[in-house]
Amino acid sequence: MPDFTLISAPPLAGYNSSFGDIKLSAPKDLAIVSIALPLGGEDAAKAAITSAFGIDLPDTVGTSSPTKDGTASLMRLGADQAFVVFTSATPDAERQIAAKLNGTAYTTDQTDAWCSLEISGPGARRALERICPIDLHPDAFAVGAVARTVMEHMGAIIARTGDDSFLLLSASSSAKSFLHAVELSARNVI
Amino acid sequence: MIINHPLLGPRDVAEFIYLGDACLIDRPDWEADDAAEAFHEYGYLRDNIAGPMQELWYHEQGDRSWLVVTRDTLTHEITNVEMARDVARARGRSK
Amino acid sequence: MSQINRITGGLVDRSRTMNFTFNGKSMQGYAGDTLASALLANGQVLVGRSFKYHRPRGILTDGSEEPNALVELRSGAAQEPNTRATVTELFDGLTAASQNHRGSLENDFMAITDLASPFLSAGFYYKTFMWPAAFWEKVYEPIIRKSAGLGRLSMQEDPDTYDKGFLHCDLLVIGAGPAGLSAALAAARSGARVILADEDFAPGGRLNSETYAVDGMSGTDWATQAVAELTSMDNVRLMTRTTVYGAYDHGIYGALERCTDHLPGAGGKPRQVLWRIYSKRAVLAAGATERPIAFGNNDRPGIMLASAVRTYVNRFGVAPGKRVAVLTNNDDGWRTAHDLVAKGIAVTAVIDTRNGPAPLEVAGARHIRGAGVVDTAGRRALSRITLTDGQMIDTDCLAVSGGWNPAVHLTCHQQGRPVWNEQISAFVPGNILPAGMVVAGAANGALSLGAALTAGRDAANAQLSDLGFTAPDTAAPTAEDEGFSCEPKWHIPSGKKRAWVDFQNDVTVKDIRLSHREGFKSVEHLKRYTTTGMATDQGKTSNMSALAIMSECTGKSIPETGTTIFRPPYTPVPIGALAGRSRGKDFRPYRLTPSHEWATRHGATFVEVGNWLRAQWFVKGNENGWRDSVDREVLNTRNSVGICDVTTLGKIDIQGKDAAEFLNKVYANAFAKLAVGRVRYGIMLREDGICYDDGTTARMSENHFVMTTTTANAVLVFRRMEFARQCLFPEMDVHLISTTDAWAQFAVAGPNARKLLSKIVDADSQDMSNEAFPFMACGEVTVCGGTPGRLFRISFSGELAYEIAVPARYGNSLIEALMKAGEEFGACPYGTEALGVMRIEKGHAAGNELDGRTTAHMLGMGGMVSKKKDSIGKILSQRPDMNRDDAERLVGFRPVDRSQKLIAGSHFLTKGDEATMANDQGWMTSVAWSPSLNHSVGLGFIKSGHTRMGEIVRAVSPVHNTEMDVEIVSAHFIDPEGERLRA
Repeated sequence: MPDFTLISAPPLAGYNSSFGDIKLSAPKDLAIVSIALPLGGEDAAKAAITSAFGIDLPDTVGTSSPTKDGTASLMRLGADQAFVVFTSATPDAERQIAAKLNGTAYTTDQTDAWCSLEISGPGARRALERICPIDLHPDAFAVGAVARTVMEHMGAIIARTGDDSFLLLSASSSAKSFLHAVELSARNVI
Repeated sequence: MIINHPLLGPRDVAEFIYLGDACLIDRPDWEADDAAEAFHEYGYLRDNIAGPMQELWYHEQGDRSWLVVTRDTLTHEITNVEMARDVARARGRSK
Repeated sequence: MSQINRITGGLVDRSRTMNFTFNGKSMQGYAGDTLASALLANGQVLVGRSFKYHRPRGILTDGSEEPNALVELRSGAAQEPNTRATVTELFDGLTAASQNHRGSLENDFMAITDLASPFLSAGFYYKTFMWPAAFWEKVYEPIIRKSAGLGRLSMQEDPDTYDKGFLHCDLLVIGAGPAGLSAALAAARSGARVILADEDFAPGGRLNSETYAVDGMSGTDWATQAVAELTSMDNVRLMTRTTVYGAYDHGIYGALERCTDHLPGAGGKPRQVLWRIYSKRAVLAAGATERPIAFGNNDRPGIMLASAVRTYVNRFGVAPGKRVAVLTNNDDGWRTAHDLVAKGIAVTAVIDTRNGPAPLEVAGARHIRGAGVVDTAGRRALSRITLTDGQMIDTDCLAVSGGWNPAVHLTCHQQGRPVWNEQISAFVPGNILPAGMVVAGAANGALSLGAALTAGRDAANAQLSDLGFTAPDTAAPTAEDEGFSCEPKWHIPSGKKRAWVDFQNDVTVKDIRLSHREGFKSVEHLKRYTTTGMATDQGKTSNMSALAIMSECTGKSIPETGTTIFRPPYTPVPIGALAGRSRGKDFRPYRLTPSHEWATRHGATFVEVGNWLRAQWFVKGNENGWRDSVDREVLNTRNSVGICDVTTLGKIDIQGKDAAEFLNKVYANAFAKLAVGRVRYGIMLREDGICYDDGTTARMSENHFVMTTTTANAVLVFRRMEFARQCLFPEMDVHLISTTDAWAQFAVAGPNARKLLSKIVDADSQDMSNEAFPFMACGEVTVCGGTPGRLFRISFSGELAYEIAVPARYGNSLIEALMKAGEEFGACPYGTEALGVMRIEKGHAAGNELDGRTTAHMLGMGGMVSKKKDSIGKILSQRPDMNRDDAERLVGFRPVDRSQKLIAGSHFLTKGDEATMANDQGWMTSVAWSPSLNHSVGLGFIKSGHTRMGEIVRAVSPVHNTEMDVEIVSAHFIDPEGERLRA
């Protein structure tokens, strides 16, 4: 038995709030691991991804695909970069993914680099209009679309997870500023 | 301004950082006899172009790609946007 | 006196009375009124005093071009000056006050200024207040500022909030008049995403002011029906109370939506929203602005634009006068007379500057042709006019129509220059338009209703077919195509009477002539010399006339004389709206370290470092001032152990088969052969050879490195490394991702650091002995029973030191654990001040030394720049002048008199030399009080410093007015041999 134990305290843990028809909450135990495709080794990495997750890495940058069992999604964020987003309470997310990919790609744990918020409800788009420069009309940003952009001077990733729901990621160190930005947007439009 | 990113489509210029003339890709050979002269030219001498110009822009609040944007400095009209990595390769850069 | 001038009809809701006050006087109006229409309904003709001469002024227009009727709206902190009464929507409880007078509006003491007007012509200040120069700031300017001006600020913080936002559409239609509505309907029916924006609260534009029929119904009913259809469609966003104020590159428009200005209070919601609209295409249907004609004393309250008179009569059900006269140079004036008579208002005369037959008969009015007005009378409001032939007519309202100026403003925002259209004697949009914009209707010079309706539809259809939409085959709405005939008349010679051109800045015809006489003939000079067009209305009612009068002076045609172009914003945008939410604490995002909550509980004072808040020091017990805390933290660390949150340092994860080779390129020193499990200090140069950043990089495995950068440069270093990766070495297999926020990282420093950490790092994950984990070792470990972590044996303080990292979510918990484990050693947390003191004592360079001017040679690290490999900055760093023997070199300094405090920024002089730049030997970069040595210590650059150990020089700071003798010593004040950090 060690003398000391460490307690996990992600910046927005347990956050859950409603503003009129807009719901805001912090997803629990969201793990994020980045995958970099080695130069010249892209095909091998993609094959490993397909066999590890049962789905292909999305070809189009700016799209996200859920695995068939819905436990993880693959976000293609750049020509040679993707995020795996899944649920894991333990601080070994990177090891889990690295083990699946068997050295075919470079992995980095990003779980603690980001804070995450889910915004949903009929008013979600109206609120996001106040901070998100991306066109979120369903014709331009359908379910499965993902974009890395800037909101209120903070880098952010936005993914459409449903007709009326979005996952937002931003730097964990400025989580309080980011939460304030999203909360204020919701408050301003209800 | 709007930059039509080759992979991501149109994005507000607020997501980008400007660097300058895309000639910065053409970094001289450090082992050449005239390396000092060539680096001086590379580092300090630029054309002041009035018209279409190839420029380097960095998508910092996006996919972190460097782009070569052909922009008319008189009208801001953008006629071409390419991934800088592809341009660099086409110009013969390797390792 | 209650609404004595209210007549029947109009679009106001008589069932909803609105109480308001003007200069403390209670008045009533109706829902649907503007403040201007309500004031007129109550017989309040005098509404303000002019800018320069304090002349009594009334309402001139019915829209955002208003130069006169500026009021202070609301009270207390919410008081807003220079609000145009003509666009202020009336609400219950509104309070307004007139501006720019001392004493009452009716009896302004400053009206005496008007008597001095012969001396106050254009250029008066330039000519008069030349001497003595010192008087300008102390005497002249305060007096002028006091007498001239607009409204007053409340001098309190704005209690309202503002917001910003982003909108996207296929087609943006600017203006919801006939052309705009017609365009929006056509576009909406094709299925395109449409935004229709109008500055008014009631869409319809001039349709609401005129009596024309569209599609067999009244224009107002047609507009209502069009709005209903648009509102019912999901693909349309109708934005009233929204001014599109600027056209920017690539189809981006700025728009200001006034969300709560028409309500008594904002109810906690943003008062205004500043929108950035991304449009694929746009139709500008901004209409046109009527222009006045200048004549003697044409600024008297009661003199109004003819179009405004129609608006007040038809839209608001208000009679601007009881016996109205009309002065016109076109057919519109006659229509005004016609509409007035239709409402039962007496028209005494229609005075047409043109000869020829009257376009229509106005019952009861004299028709006077080929004449003009040369003077007016009436103390606070118009009572009489004098015509060119000397005859006088009693009237209380003169409606003036000088023709129409298309609202070309937004077409000018991207280099466009309007062109002269002889037919309507006005400027119309030229060929260069903002990308994606077409102009329709009156804004394009199509001044008839039928033409506007057709042009709107056609413009929208053309734009959308370009975008691939198919327009449904519907006919354009039809309306009578009323004729428009206009003969230019800019001013009527009025002898010595002053004729106003720019009402808001008090510029007269005479001023323009003076400008010409004195050589200020170009339009740009004219503007600046007379200030015409430079008031808050940007000369919407005056620029054209000023230009025309100048062209008379020069004898050239108007287009030869010049053109007037416009800049954003179309109408003023409050600073509060431009700031949006970025106020106070939320001015910019702030970043917190993982131990922030703990530090807050333990007496930390925080300092902003970039966006980060870092603990600067921790107050303990009853320490008196920061020095006590910092001295204690330094001594505690050097004597036992201290802990510092260093999470803010940039961390970059670098992976790839070519990662080592890549590091060789970006660092000046060699990295390729760094062993796995080891850390190396590295220095980065700019391509010009100047030092850029430094830090350490750890090799975690063959193809995996972890780099740290300085806090300030984290983003910039990452950007430059991506540039190198993608643009310079595109065939290297190397990948970068920031992990700054992913890891909570703490420095544990001091002789007891190992003992402390041995209690935290799981023994089975790492042997902590000096042999197994020496200075500059690194490795993956687990801490506190299995939590993954990273351990680096690096030292900024010069002590035996480690940096330990865990996933950020465990950071707050880890500092608790470290402190508890350190209890037996008396461990203390230390902040950035103690960190700074210790690095200065140790002679480590930081931001003060890497200031963008220093080379590796100056820092004493010239030898680190590898000769054997290419690296960024290497070639230019070898330039002879950057490697001179007498270059300033980094060394340490201590005061000869140990009780003296060194001053950062001091310059060094050889003893006996005069304090001149020519004798400058270098400068002091960093100083600190060293509690370890009990005297002040400093770092600095001095010529050939490394060869001058022991020399006494003078350190002079003219800024602080200090001078002292200092001794040149080694920069390593503490443990120069480095025994402690290797212990």
